[in-house]
This record gives sequence, structure tokens and C-alpha cells, in this order.
Amino acid sequence: MTFSKATLLLSLLFVLPVIASELEWQAAQPEYSWSFPQDHWARSGYRNEWWYFTGHLSSRENPERRFGYQFTFFRIGLRPELPPLESQWATSNLIMGHAAISDLEGKRHIFSETLYREVSFLGGFGSYPESLIAWSRAPAGTAGTWELHWNGEGFDFEMRDQVQGIAFQLSTHPLKPLVFQGPNGYSRKGEDSRAASQYYSFTRLMTQGSLTVDGETFQVEGESWMDKEFGSHQLAENQVGWDWFSLQLEDGREVMFYHLRNRAGATDFARGTVVSETGEVQYLKPEEWTIQSTQTWKSPETGTQYPSRWRITLARENLELEIVPQLAYQENRSRILSDLYYWEGAVTILGAGGEKLGQGYVELTGYGTGNLLPSALN
Amino acid sequence: MIRYFLAAWIAHLRKAPSLFLLSVLGVALGVASVVAIQIINRNAIGAFSAGIKAVSGEVDLTVLGQTTTFPEELYSQVLATEGVAAAWPLYQIDVALADRDAFFLQVFGVDLLAPVRLPWNSSPADLSQALFEPGWIAVTPSLAQEMGWSIGDPIDVTSGTRRVQLVIGALVDFKKVSPLASRKLAVMDIAQVQGLLGSSGRIHQIDVQIQEGTHTEELILRLQNRLGPSVQIVTPRQREEQAADLMGAFRLNLTALSWISLFVGLFLIYTSTQASLLRRRLEFGLLRSVGATRAQVFGLILGEVSLLGLLGVILGLPMGYWVAQSNVEMVSATLTNLYLLQEIDSLQLSPSLYALAAGIGLGGAMAGAFFPAIDISRKNSKDLLTAFTLHEKANSLALPVFGMGWLVLTLTALWFWFLGYSWKPAGFVLAVAVLVALPLLTPFLIQQICGRIKTRGFGLGYSLKSLAARLQTTSFAVSSLAIAVSMLLGITLMIGSFRKTVEVWVQTTVQADIYLTTPSWRAEPEATLDAELVSALAAHPGVVSVDRLRRLLVSIDNKRISLVGVDMDLSGGQSRFPLLKGDRMEVLGKVQQGGVLISEPLARKSRLDVGDLLQVYAGAGKLEFPIAGIYYDYTSELGSAAMDLAVMGEIFGPGPIHSLSLYLEEGRDPERVVDEIKARFPDTPLQIRSNQRLREEIFEIFDQTFAVVRILQMMSLLIAVCGIMLTLLVLARERISELALYQALGASRLQIFRLFVGKGLGMGLIALGLGSAGGTVLAAILIFVINRTYFGWTIQVYWPGWPVLQQLATILTAALLASLYPALRASKTPAVELSRDDLQ
Repeated sequence: MTFSKATLLLSLLFVLPVIASELEWQAAQPEYSWSFPQDHWARSGYRNEWWYFTGHLSSRENPERRFGYQFTFFRIGLRPELPPLESQWATSNLIMGHAAISDLEGKRHIFSETLYREVSFLGGFGSYPESLIAWSRAPAGTAGTWELHWNGEGFDFEMRDQVQGIAFQLSTHPLKPLVFQGPNGYSRKGEDSRAASQYYSFTRLMTQGSLTVDGETFQVEGESWMDKEFGSHQLAENQVGWDWFSLQLEDGREVMFYHLRNRAGATDFARGTVVSETGEVQYLKPEEWTIQSTQTWKSPETGTQYPSRWRITLARENLELEIVPQLAYQENRSRILSDLYYWEGAVTILGAGGEKLGQGYVELTGYGTGNLLPSALN
Repeated sequence: MIRYFLAAWIAHLRKAPSLFLLSVLGVALGVASVVAIQIINRNAIGAFSAGIKAVSGEVDLTVLGQTTTFPEELYSQVLATEGVAAAWPLYQIDVALADRDAFFLQVFGVDLLAPVRLPWNSSPADLSQALFEPGWIAVTPSLAQEMGWSIGDPIDVTSGTRRVQLVIGALVDFKKVSPLASRKLAVMDIAQVQGLLGSSGRIHQIDVQIQEGTHTEELILRLQNRLGPSVQIVTPRQREEQAADLMGAFRLNLTALSWISLFVGLFLIYTSTQASLLRRRLEFGLLRSVGATRAQVFGLILGEVSLLGLLGVILGLPMGYWVAQSNVEMVSATLTNLYLLQEIDSLQLSPSLYALAAGIGLGGAMAGAFFPAIDISRKNSKDLLTAFTLHEKANSLALPVFGMGWLVLTLTALWFWFLGYSWKPAGFVLAVAVLVALPLLTPFLIQQICGRIKTRGFGLGYSLKSLAARLQTTSFAVSSLAIAVSMLLGITLMIGSFRKTVEVWVQTTVQADIYLTTPSWRAEPEATLDAELVSALAAHPGVVSVDRLRRLLVSIDNKRISLVGVDMDLSGGQSRFPLLKGDRMEVLGKVQQGGVLISEPLARKSRLDVGDLLQVYAGAGKLEFPIAGIYYDYTSELGSAAMDLAVMGEIFGPGPIHSLSLYLEEGRDPERVVDEIKARFPDTPLQIRSNQRLREEIFEIFDQTFAVVRILQMMSLLIAVCGIMLTLLVLARERISELALYQALGASRLQIFRLFVGKGLGMGLIALGLGSAGGTVLAAILIFVINRTYFGWTIQVYWPGWPVLQQLATILTAALLASLYPALRASKTPAVELSRDDLQ
């Protein structure tokens, strides 16, 4: 029987709690002592880490030309220490880059990815105080690199994929201060206190730069959301995926919440955060909001059925929201790891009367038979 | 007609089974020799690509270094090139099993985290172990079974003077994706291979998958521009061609020999068809007179011959496979020893080989029968029903045919002299001309030699004289034996001369007392000697001087050759490079100023001479060295070059030593020092030999290299001996009435027996004479033309008297033995076979 290496790799990355737990990875702690800006750089010792950027951009020259985008670097820890081998290929980390552009006018969603060992000529992670946080070679067939830098206030990043015909180079500056997701940035993911990560966000980043789709380059501007998360045991054993929402309301507030689903499809654990216009944070318990999925969308490529429209009520915030995907087809399907796919897309927030209240991004993982999670690297 | 065909065929088979069996055997042996060589040749190429295919799958392009390795950073450059869909790095190293003699594992270091397809049914835990358990290695189930290994077992391997413990991590059956893959193939993660067995920073190849819609040629150009001259980009087909080219001369020689066997086989078919037709003249005459057309008679004959050919193929195919199977190990050893190619681990019969066997068996049989069949079918029934006229015709044709033979020889010689000498395959044209001319010369020579014999009774003279009278039959048997003898003798002379030349060369060059290298010497450039060990050995009691050799692989015109660095100034080491050209002192001076010596094969093949510049691609890029001299070298057909070790260090940077020769003080026993060194460094993997042992091993390799050639010779001889037996049986049958007449006239059975043995002996003697002449000419062609062009070696001519005499005696004995059965048959011919017709 021919065994696909991709499947093996995936198994290693995503379903290896036993092996991982035997190793001495650091666990997320409620009393973690934060230090910025150093904590924007990679925290080796933790098994997984990611820098997640999502946002809405529009052409400066033609504001009708709107785009959603995603840019993510994952650090996947294989071992806490480097193996003692005299070889550049000896590595303790993988670097995975995911990027997507949703061309909202062109009604297209284009996904690109990279996956390499942390090798000096393929990809790696910088260290404070140099500006480089993470980088990887561009995908095969494309010259150059994908890079993420700290620019002193916010983040600069760029990606390019000649084969898929997309590229962007964006610079961000925070419009609101950094927010901890969970008390002191300790974000619980299950009843077991070990299932947690260190998690913070920049919920509103002014963004500008250039973006290329199909050979056409646009000068763009807009707003982004950034998540940085690291930990070693994020998911509990019975959890298979999550629905994650980041919402930027036009009144200046931001809302984030996630539902971790169990094998039966029910919510196993959920948490949320509301950030006021002035940056004050309130942490939400599951009973403080309701969510109801009102539509589904079936991917023509993977055959996976995703929820695709939601009605959300946050009574304390006096919010009744309708979340509508700006494009149904915003599924990221990996070409390197054939069983890895998830829905990550730009959404519009409508009020009860159908008026636009804001915009956001939704991530839906663990749906379908692939059942693999881009960031649940547990 | 078909019913008649089958009935007639079965009837003849019953009547003359020995004739039939000999004919089938002749075809079968001819088919077998061609098939055997084709199987070996094709599988040698197959083995080369199978290893790569097993770990890389089907790739579109491969990036290879001009030398063995190239900087691994180029992998990133390959990925950056437009049109590349995916790329995988590969590190390749042969390591020796520590507890086995000369048993190599071909280890492929792959990026196990890249989506490579392996036939490996495993769990994620296995992958984690593969990456992080020190020494994890996947081996084939067949090797594990052979060695008694199971998962988790430690195995000790050596790489250079490093001894490393690996752990069997998985059993992976590469044959599932690449049936010709060697059982000695093994896979490790690239980091482990580099870290434990090889060296970091460089890799051996990058496999590339092309983006859909990209033109291969354009991508090759883009890659070449981006990566620079230190690498070459080849398609899988080009890689196979390169490997084929590498062993091209070796393969060509084997192929040519196998075709000669077939050629001899064709004579056999001709003889047997001729015999069968002669016996059945009456039958064909009757068929024609009852209304059968010429075409029907022609069809009938060809139908029978095809059946014979078919049986020959059915027998020849397994015979060829068996010959290939029993020789594959020796050929494989030659390929790995001489060409550093992959071993042939298993043999596969491709459908095209079946087609080839059928083609040569059936085609050969048809070709052999075509003219006799035409001849018979053209005759009218009256001619067929009356007495023979055939022999008379042959007699009258003997002189013109001789003239033709002479013309073939003269024209070919003239052609070669004026035009063909610079054409590479010209030597083969000469050899073919000799083989074609021999049978053409034979009838006239038999006529002249035997016809002049004065007979005084019923003895040997009568036997010989009767050979001239039966020219059509005898000359074919004599020709086929003469060809076989020529081939046997020609090759014996060539190998004998070659062996003697190498012997003299070894005596000159192998002067040190002890030779030392590592068991994994094959894995250049990693098979190095530890520097501390080298110093320790230099200071070993009794060692007066040390000759250090550093080997680099460089590339000339996309072909890799060894560039060795030695201390040119070493006292007493002058004889290491016996010069073909150049004054020793002058050459030495130039070499110390940065010149190089090149081996004779390199000089001949690349048409280089003293004073020219040797252009090589090395890791550092393109380099040029003035050629100071040319030396005799028989270690590598591909060629090699030598320079001063110190100069090498200046140009290529310091590097480790690959082998070492020790000179001992007078009176020291080398075998004893060998034992001392082994005892002093018990855990260091070393291959250490005394002068005597090295010389013996050189000749073991030499004999191994020519073993297959000897088998082909024997097959050809066997065919020829079948030919003699067949001819005599034909004569016994054909002249059945004549024999009966002898008996009626009072000849004793013993006399008839002697008559036939005499005929056999006579044919053997004439064939030996002709064959010796032909063989000597063939040897000259092999030594002076073919070897120089294809291998580039100067072979001094020696006459290996005793082996030649032995062989000639063997052939004569074989001819004698072959005549015993027909003689016995003939002597039993009863007088009642005498018919009235025969007395007319």
C-alpha cells in the first residue's frame, strides 16, 4: 500500500498529543509574565505559536474594489530542543505560512501556503531586537520570501505566490492598544486547566500597502485584526474543531468569541471578549451570548458542509447581529497537505433591521472528513 | 496442406530426432546468449534508475552536481524558479555493514517532512522516531529477512573511519513502487544521514516536479541560469542515458559477443535446414508432381523452420534468463567496481525482451532457411526426383565465393585505412568483416586442402577428401566452428595480453608494502580517513614513509572523473605513474608547479595531449590545469587525473585523505604489520591489505570482469560443436546409400566408424586452422582498435601460449567427441539401405 507522506506529516502535526505530552513543552500559565515587544517574537519552548492577521482592504483609487485577506505564520514545534546532529536539516520547528485574498468584487478566493523545516535557507524565526519575527521561502515556483516584521508600533508583512497570482505587502499600525484574550492573556480552551494558550490581539490595525490579484496591483488601505497565540496543549482530547469570530463594529467596539466543538458537534467550551471603543476589555462567559447558525454552504471541492450565516445575541452589550459571509466560497484548501482545509472568510455584520454594523472574519475548522485544524497544533 | 504439414513434421521428427534436437539447441543457444546479455544490460540501466524512482517517485527533472555534491542552499534557488511545482532534496551515501565484507547499503537521505511518496504503511509515531531517534533507518523487508533483522535491532555501519550504530526503524518495500530497486536500498531522514554518516552543507541531487503548462526545455534553461555552472539539470531519460553511456563500452562489447553467438547459431540452422531439405528432395518432388505449387512447398519449408525457431525461442528464453541470473552477480560487481554504479539486485524480463527473443529465434531460423527453401521451391519436380546436383554446384561456386570473401576483407581494410579509422565503431566493422569473410573463404580452402589429398585406401585421407566432395554441407559446419574458434581465440589472446599488461603495470605501480583505505571507499567523497589515524600510522614502528592520497570527483564534459592528489615528490614513489608520454624529470617539475597528469583512457577519450589544458568543473567552478604528462592506468575506464597533494590543498582547500600506502623498512614483514595495525585500531573501520593481497585482489576483479565474456565464448563454442555433430549426422543420413554401398563392398563397421571420426577430426582441424588465423586478426582488432577507442587502454601483445594450446586441444577433442555419435550411427547403416536408384 502506498502511503501518502502528507497524511503522515499531518498526523504528526495535528494528532500527536501522546508523543507531544511526553516531551517537556512549556504549558500556558495564568500568571505568565508578559514582556513587550519581546513577546511578539517566537517563544520557543512552547509547542505551537501563530501570528494571525485578517482584514478588510479596499483600493485607494477605486474604493468599490474591496478585498478580504488573511496572513498567518505558524510555528510548529517538533521537539523542544534541536537534535544533536551536524546538519542544517536538523530542526526542532516547522514554519507554515497561510495567506488568502478574497476578491469581493471578482467573487474569488485565492489561497496560498508554505511549509518548510526551520532551515537557514528555507525559513525561520527572528529574535528581538531585530525587526524580523518570522520568514519562509515563498511557495515552489515563486522567487522571494514571505516575511513578518515588527515596525516599532505594528507589523509589516508580505507574501507572494506567482503560481496563484497573488501577492501583498502591508504595513499596520494599531488604532487601539493590545488586548489580552482572557485574564492576563491566559486563554482557556477546555475544562482541563492545561488546555489553554497565551493569547493577545490587536483588534484594530490601520493597514495600508499594495495587493496583487491576477497580475493587477492595487494600492490598498483598510483595517486588520491580529492574533498572537502560543501554547502547548490548546485542545482537549474530545474537541475536534472550532468556530471563531472576530468582529469590528462601526461604533468602535470589537467582539471576539470562539466555540470549541466536540465530536458530536456540540459546543464543548466557549469564551469571548468585548473591547469597548476606548479599549476596555470584558471577558464573556458562554451564557452571555447566543449564537444560531441559519444557513449552510457546501464546498464543491471538498464536499464539506459549513455553517454560513449566523444570528448572534449579546444581551449585555445590547447587540443583535446577523453575520453574513461576503463570499460563500472562502475555503482554504491546502495543496501540500491534502487533508487540510478550513473556512476562513470575510463577513459583514448586519443589525436586526438589515443595516450594516461592521465587518469581521470567521474561522471554521474541523468540519468535514479531513478534520484537521490549521492552528490546533496539539 | 496444414494437415499434411503436421503429419510430415511429426514423421520427420520421429525419423531423425537427434538432427531436430541439435537444430533446436542451436537456435536456443543463440537466443539464450543474446537474451542473457540483453537482460543484464537492460537491468543494469534499470537498477540505476530504480533506486532513484523508489524514493523520489516519478520526477520530471533532476538537478545534479558537476561533482558529486553541491551546496544545499541551491535547493532554495530551485524552489524560487518559475515553473517548479515541487522539489525534493536528496543525500545519497553508500555505507558498509561493519560485520560483513564489502556489503554496502545504499542509503538515501530524504526530507521525510516533505510530501514524498514512500511505500510505507506507518503511524505518526514512526515519523517522529524517523526524525528524532538517532540512527533510525528504513530497510527493505528482503534485506531484513536475509540478515535476520527486525524493527528495533541495532546495526553497525561504517562511513569512512566512522563507525555508527543505526537502528532498524521500519521495513519499507521499495520494490512496490520500483520493482528493480535493490534490496540494499535504505532510507533515512536527510538530517540524520548528513549528521551521522555524511557531511553537512552539501547534497547530491534535487528532484523537481514541473508546474503544469511549463515547457521542460524553458525550465531547464531557467534553472541552469539561476543555479550556475556547478550543477547540471537532466531529465530522467538523460540520466539513464548518462548511466548507459558510462558503461556503454562494457555493454557494447558484451552485446557484440552475444550477436556473434547468434551468428554462429544461424549457421547451424542453415546446415540443419539444408540437411532436412536434401533428405526430403524426393518428397518435395512428389508433392510438386501431384500438384503442389512452388509457393506451397516454400511455405511448407518455412512453416517447419518457424516451428523449429519457436521451439528454440521457448527453450532459449529460460536458458538466457538462467545464464543472466547466474552471472548477474559478477556483472554487478564489475559495474560497481569499475563504474561505481548501482548493483543489479534483481532481474526483470520486459515484454520487449520476449519480442526480441522471438524476433531473433524465428527471424534467425527463417534467415537460415530462406535460401535453401528458395532453392528447393524453384526446382521443378523432375530435378527434385532425380539425383543431386547441389554439391557440384557448390564446388563450382567455391572460387567465386572465396573471391567475395577476399574482396570483403580488402575493401574493409582499405575503408578503415583511409576513412573509417576515426569513426568510433569502425573496429566492430572490421571484426564483422573478418567474421563474414571467414565462411566465404572456407569452401575454397576446404576444396584446395582436401581435394589435393591423395587417397590410398579407406583411411583418414579418404575422410578428408570426402569433405571436399560434400562442400555444401561441410563448409557450413567448418565455418561455424571457425567463427567460434576465432572468437574464442581472439578474446583469449586479448584477455591474456591484457592480463599480462596489467600484471606488468601492477608490478610497476603497486610498490608500497601496505595499502589502507576504508570499507566504505565507494562512497566518495565521504569515505575519508581520520587525520589523527593518518598521523598515528605514519609514526607506526617500521613505517619509513607514507603515501597519502586524496580523491576529489570533478567533471569533464559532464562526466565525473577522479582527480587524485598525491605527494609527487615522495622518494621511491616515481613508479606510481608510469608515463606513456613525457620526460619524467620534466613532468615532475611541471606537476609541482600546478600541472596535472592524466590517465591514458582520459587522454584518448577526451583527445587530450601533453601541453593541452585540462578543463574541469569542481565544487569551486571551472578550473584549468596544464597537462604535464599521460600515465598508464588500468583502474578506471572513465579516466582519472593526478596532481600534487600540496597543490591540491592550495587550490581546493585542505581536505581529508581517502587512502594511504605505507612503505616499510627493509626486512619488515608486511603481513605482520597489517596484523599489528588491525590490533592497534580494533574499532576503526579499515580496509587494510598487504602488497601481495592487493595484487591478488586486482586480479580477482580482473577475472571477474571477464567472466561473462568467457561464458559467451563457451556458449558460442557449444553451438559450433553442435554444428559439427549435426553436419556429421547429416552426412551419415545424406550418404546413407553410399554407406550401404561401402558395407556391400565389404567395409567393416569399424572402418565406417573411423571414416566418420576422421571426417569430424578433419573438419575440426581445418576449422582450427581457419579460426586461428581469424582469431589472431580479431585479437589485433580488439587490442589495437576496439580497446583503444572504447576503453582507451594500451594493451601490450603477449601470446598466452599454454592457454591457447589448451583451448585448441579442447576444441579438437570436442570435434572428435561430436563425431562419435554420428560415426556410430553411420557404422550401423545396414547394407539393405542400398537402393537401385543409388546404383544408377
